[in-house]
Amino acid sequence: MAENKSKHEEFKAFVARSVAPFAEQWDRDQRIPDGIIRQMAQSGYLGCSLPPEYGGQGWDIVTFGLLNEAFGRGSSALTGVLTVQAMVSMVLLKWGTMEQRRLWLPSLATGEMIGAFALTEPGAGSAMQSLVTEFTPNAQGFVLNGGKKWISCAQSAGVFLVFGTLGGRSVACLVPSDTPGLRVEPISDLMGFRAAGLAQLHFQDVVVPSANLVGKPGYALSHLAPVGLHYGRISTACSALGLLRGCFEESIGHAARRKIGDKTVGDIGMVRSLIARMGTDLEAGTLLCHNACRAEDEHLPEVFEKALMAKYFTSRAVVRAASDAVQIQGAAGCHGSSAVSRYYRDAKIMEIIEGTTQIHEDILGRIFVDQAGGCGTSTRAD
Amino acid sequence: MSTADANGIKQAIRSFILSSIAVPDLDDDADLFESGIVNSLFAVQLMTFIEKTFAMEMGMDDLDIENFKSLNATTAFVLRKNGRRSG
Repeated sequence: MAENKSKHEEFKAFVARSVAPFAEQWDRDQRIPDGIIRQMAQSGYLGCSLPPEYGGQGWDIVTFGLLNEAFGRGSSALTGVLTVQAMVSMVLLKWGTMEQRRLWLPSLATGEMIGAFALTEPGAGSAMQSLVTEFTPNAQGFVLNGGKKWISCAQSAGVFLVFGTLGGRSVACLVPSDTPGLRVEPISDLMGFRAAGLAQLHFQDVVVPSANLVGKPGYALSHLAPVGLHYGRISTACSALGLLRGCFEESIGHAARRKIGDKTVGDIGMVRSLIARMGTDLEAGTLLCHNACRAEDEHLPEVFEKALMAKYFTSRAVVRAASDAVQIQGAAGCHGSSAVSRYYRDAKIMEIIEGTTQIHEDILGRIFVDQAGGCGTSTRAD
Repeated sequence: MSTADANGIKQAIRSFILSSIAVPDLDDDADLFESGIVNSLFAVQLMTFIEKTFAMEMGMDDLDIENFKSLNATTAFVLRKNGRRSG
């Protein structure tokens, strides 16, 4: 625990020095400079949870969660790099062959290469079962045709984990970004998450060697995607928690310092109500995120629902908090130069990525009902 | 692996499945995935339960629906994997 706290302080210092002062500019530029990615890589952040044998830091998931929380406080868009890197790396670590792990994980662990998770399609959104991207067999392996949309960090990724179908069965393949026939079309002017380098991917007769197939055909949606999305949810839950801390710190600072006549904003009872809810959500979100990360470290089967709950809670809480943070600062909070205006725009994205709020409610609701309907003992008790 | 061990493994898996899906009882050979009674995360929940409870790690080679399609199939898989490990 003391080691976790020490690491968290290190991460927060990194963010205060190298992220927070520049996040507004990155947001305006809709781009994250290569330099900060290199700094993160040199600090071991991009492969932090991969085992040392592949060049990673071997940090536990509690520490990974604290890293995402600290970065989420500074820049949601930059934290997206941690999210997608973990999603691709952890799927490969779990389901890749030894040859694939040896070939791909070291460069992902050191940050030499960024991986992106290419699941969402223009016509499918969060509905994974509707994939139309298709792999067909050929002499070299497969020919890939189709498209993906809203892929985070796609503009800087060196490799994509692309989900599609092969003869009606779901598959996932590693596709390097420089493969002929793959076109990466940047997506600009998002309301938030503007520097996260989203793109649309177009695959036209892209030849993929069979050695790049991860897992076995038929299991990409049942076993591979859920592992990637699970780490994505842990990362996003913690990132949203960091953003929530930002809303809280901005709000209490403003409430304590901003004078209205001989009083402060914090003397207004209704403002204190908003801050009370924000602070309590922050505490509850911290516990939910820690609980999910700890369950992952203990490899508990209920970790999936705990990660869903953490992401569901923090993403909704930060939308409320960001709205209230703008409200507390009034007109100044509505100006593009204020940090809370960016928080407000970024917060909504947290409710969309790695499964919408409604998808979370659908899955969690079913899990809870199923647990009550069976005659076994609930796995949620602890 | 003794019969008692096999029964213990089967009972542990049965308890987990019944705690995860809304069925009053479970036929040993009922197909869990064909019947549509499991949620979208059940496959990875079951995998994590097996890994945690029986101290084993699954990888790509274990991705076969025949290993997990029913209570009996999952029990047989755990016994085989345990046997390979101790053999």
